[in-house]
Amino acid sequence: MTGQPSTTLAPKASRATRRGRPELYTDYRADQAIWNTPAKRFWTAALVLVGLYLPFTLSRDLTGLLTLVFIYAIGGIGLNLVTGYAGQVSLGHAFFLGLGAYTAAFLGGEPSGTVRGLELDLLIWLPMAGIVPAFVGLLVAPLAARVRGLYLAILTLGLVFMGEHLFKEARTFTGGPGVGRAPAEPVVFGYNLYARQTILGVELPRESVFYLFCFALMIGMAILARNLARSRWGRAFAAVRDRDIAAEVMGVPLLRTKTLAFVLSSFFAGIAGALLSVVIGRITPENWNLLLSIDFLAVILIGGIATISGSLIGAAFVVLLPRGVEWASGYVPFIGGAGGSGFISVFQLQGILFGALIVLFIVVEPRGLFGMWLRIRNYWKAWPFSY
Amino acid sequence: MSTVLEPTAPSAGAGLQTLPQRIREHATRDPQRVCMREKRYGIWQDITWAEYQEHIELVGHALVSLGIEPGDRVAIHSENRPEWLFGDLGIVAVRAITVGLYPTNPPAEVRYLLQDSGARVLFAEDQEQVDKALDVEADCPSLEWIVYLEPRGVSDYDHPKLLSWDDVLARGREHREADPSLIERRAREAESGDIVTLVYTSGTTGPPKGAMLTNGNVDFATRVLVTEGGTYDPPPTSDDVLVSYLPLCHVAERAATTWTNAAGGVTVHFAESIETVTANLREVQPTLFFAVPRIWEKLYAGVHIKMNAASRFKKLVYGFAMKLADRIGEELVRNQGNHTPTTRLLYAIGYPLVFRALRDRIGLRKVRAASSGAAAISPEVLRFFFGIGVIIYEIYGMTENSAVATVNRPGRVKLGTVGEPHDGIDLQIDETTGEILTRHPGVFAGYWNKPDQTREVMDTDGWLHTGDVGVWVDGTHVKIVDRIKDIIITAGGKNISPSEIENSLKTSPFIKEAVVVGDGRAYLTALIGIELDTIGDWALSRRIPYTTYRDLSEKEEVLKLVQKVVHQTNERFARVENVRKFRMMPKELDHEDGELTATQKVKRSSLFDMFGDLVDDMYGNRTAFAGGDLTTVHTPEHSDGEMEGAA
Repeated sequence: MTGQPSTTLAPKASRATRRGRPELYTDYRADQAIWNTPAKRFWTAALVLVGLYLPFTLSRDLTGLLTLVFIYAIGGIGLNLVTGYAGQVSLGHAFFLGLGAYTAAFLGGEPSGTVRGLELDLLIWLPMAGIVPAFVGLLVAPLAARVRGLYLAILTLGLVFMGEHLFKEARTFTGGPGVGRAPAEPVVFGYNLYARQTILGVELPRESVFYLFCFALMIGMAILARNLARSRWGRAFAAVRDRDIAAEVMGVPLLRTKTLAFVLSSFFAGIAGALLSVVIGRITPENWNLLLSIDFLAVILIGGIATISGSLIGAAFVVLLPRGVEWASGYVPFIGGAGGSGFISVFQLQGILFGALIVLFIVVEPRGLFGMWLRIRNYWKAWPFSY
Repeated sequence: MSTVLEPTAPSAGAGLQTLPQRIREHATRDPQRVCMREKRYGIWQDITWAEYQEHIELVGHALVSLGIEPGDRVAIHSENRPEWLFGDLGIVAVRAITVGLYPTNPPAEVRYLLQDSGARVLFAEDQEQVDKALDVEADCPSLEWIVYLEPRGVSDYDHPKLLSWDDVLARGREHREADPSLIERRAREAESGDIVTLVYTSGTTGPPKGAMLTNGNVDFATRVLVTEGGTYDPPPTSDDVLVSYLPLCHVAERAATTWTNAAGGVTVHFAESIETVTANLREVQPTLFFAVPRIWEKLYAGVHIKMNAASRFKKLVYGFAMKLADRIGEELVRNQGNHTPTTRLLYAIGYPLVFRALRDRIGLRKVRAASSGAAAISPEVLRFFFGIGVIIYEIYGMTENSAVATVNRPGRVKLGTVGEPHDGIDLQIDETTGEILTRHPGVFAGYWNKPDQTREVMDTDGWLHTGDVGVWVDGTHVKIVDRIKDIIITAGGKNISPSEIENSLKTSPFIKEAVVVGDGRAYLTALIGIELDTIGDWALSRRIPYTTYRDLSEKEEVLKLVQKVVHQTNERFARVENVRKFRMMPKELDHEDGELTATQKVKRSSLFDMFGDLVDDMYGNRTAFAGGDLTTVHTPEHSDGEMEGAA
């Protein structure tokens, strides 16, 4: 016997027997694919096209805002990996963002006065901006893996305070409190990503150029995270989140899983921090405080715990909300401008709304905006039934 | 074979195409094409024509190596799965005879079937079926080997007759090396008169009888039902998809799965189990769908239950769409299943609103041809499916004529009839008895080892007496009245068909079983079994607490509900045909307990034995058991005592 000749040939099925049957999975690859239905493929492609088209039409101001959305999304995805997927509450995200920003600034920034800078290429400082925080995450993880819940939250909170102190004191790298320093220069082989450039025959302002760079990076990192989430490690994350003891019994190594979650999360945070510093322009140690951590918690809470697309939606919401309120204030009489006239100022309203929304989401829709989308989708998915 | 009556002219001996030949043709033409899929470990695993052919050969060789000779019987006791087809065709490929057993057959019936058929090898699916076989193996001297398909739980068994499926395939490979031309030789020797399968009839009256179907019968039926579009019109092609889920030992599913696949090249999907059929249908979205009325009714009831639980807005939209569906259904029925401009317009409105989604949810979105057979289906259910765009063609046939008798043709549908005789067959209705007679090359070769009973149904002219009373409608369509032996003759001498009344009662989604009693009595009564799902749902929404099936059956509210259904039915019938009293059956009827046949048909005789006291209660003018008459209902007097009484 030379084996069965028939089984070595790949089976083929006529198109007519497959078409229009999205749930008929004949292999695991299709079943587990990120874009497992034609509808998902279509809408993702459409959104990417819209994303690519926007910087050619939007104002510089709005383009910059959307760039911020992508940067927040990268950071949010990082936090979602450790907090959403692996269930390890972290308030220390701001520390890792700061670490990434200063690593980038040191490696890629200009030296001035006592502040040091090596003026290296983006291809060096950007990866390093991820790797250095990841390494620090690796050092912290064994400590963090020992505790959970409230204790872990407090432990990571400690990181933020230690970090803030460290940033204030390390003046040669950070410029010190109140002074700050210039960020890294996003230059790839002499090509500046944060300067006016001509792309496809269209002259674009620097915001649009950087927008395109961040957009591509965000998509790449989102796919990376999504792939991780549906891999063996992603399932290990979820197992640890749902019940760590049960996970350990099933053979999921707790320490290694939690460590990986921290390391990856820190890597994403570092990248986001480095990009953020470029947009901010001049960074001071006060940028990386607890409030920034809370911003990112809001991103994943409002967007949706343990979803990648939710992180993006949440980032958009958190970044665009202040602008939306500002815009709306022009039409609502009792909101005053920045000057202080009226019953309540725009900034006060922004703060109040932000807090109220976090409360509201936790109470009404803990799965966030993505959960709302799921609800809408399921409503139509079950049509005309209700379940 | 000596007992067999002269077989009616086989369809052109030279042109005979046996099922193994048809598979071989596919395997040579498109070896890599997928011919079936089986859902295992969460995904649909492809099986190609070449693999099908390979397994048929291996099973054939293995059987010969186990000593199976032409004409020997080999039994298959399994749910639908690829191995059923591999086994069946492998058996036929070496000219042996396939005997199908229902997966629900209890050990006693397994014993009877194995003894009666004299099967030498048994393919048993899993531990459950192997246990049944081992229970009765001592009483079946002819049984030499038990082949199990699923090793789980069985591989530890130490029994000299046990063989695993893998062992069988390995044996097959070995034997093929030694005698590579065996299958071809046997294929050449195959004759039209070779018996290929024993299909045991359900046996509502006596023990099951094994109907012998020959190569000629199967070939004729395959041509009529499949290639000439008898069941699905236009005929099935390799672009069609179907789900196999009804028991394959029944002739209807054998036609719908094995024959349709072999002749039409249709891709067959095997449902994971009977419980997952609804989910599997949704994934597969078959283009051809054959179901028995019970399944259609369940689909229909399922839609109702789910819509009752839907949100207000969804209900509103659904209600509107159902108004459209009612109009469409009625118009289609009036117009023999042909669309008119009105129905097309209404359908175009309803399709994006509800019909498309609804059909998608129940897995019928891509159905291009649907049929119902094996029992009478209620017109209400048909109208509903017509309305949402699934036109169901009622088809009639029986084991003894290889399921070839009549069908409703597209554009010539008459509701309440089973359609027109297939082209090229003889069908007549006996003028004195009203019995339907058929004569064609699909008429079986007789009952296995029962020449007397064969003579009872086959006359010397080759006419098969179906045992069904029928009438002509408009001279073209046949309407089935009832089984001849079920006709009730009341004390007043009036002939009444109980199944018409029973089907009318069962039209209600609340009633699962209804048995009309009244032979030799002054008036008709009925035993009623409720549909637990729908009544349970109904009780829940009315906050009526209940514990068991029996407890729910005996609730006063439920009795009133049943009484209403009885009233509605009575309005449709003449006074003598009215049901005057009813009693609730205290348990769900079940195959295991001998109240239903394997095909879920009520065994009247055993039912009257079991629930005789309920009948006596009605005709003795007592009210000891839960039930009612046309004016009042009553719950049992002292339920504790009755429990033992009924058991």
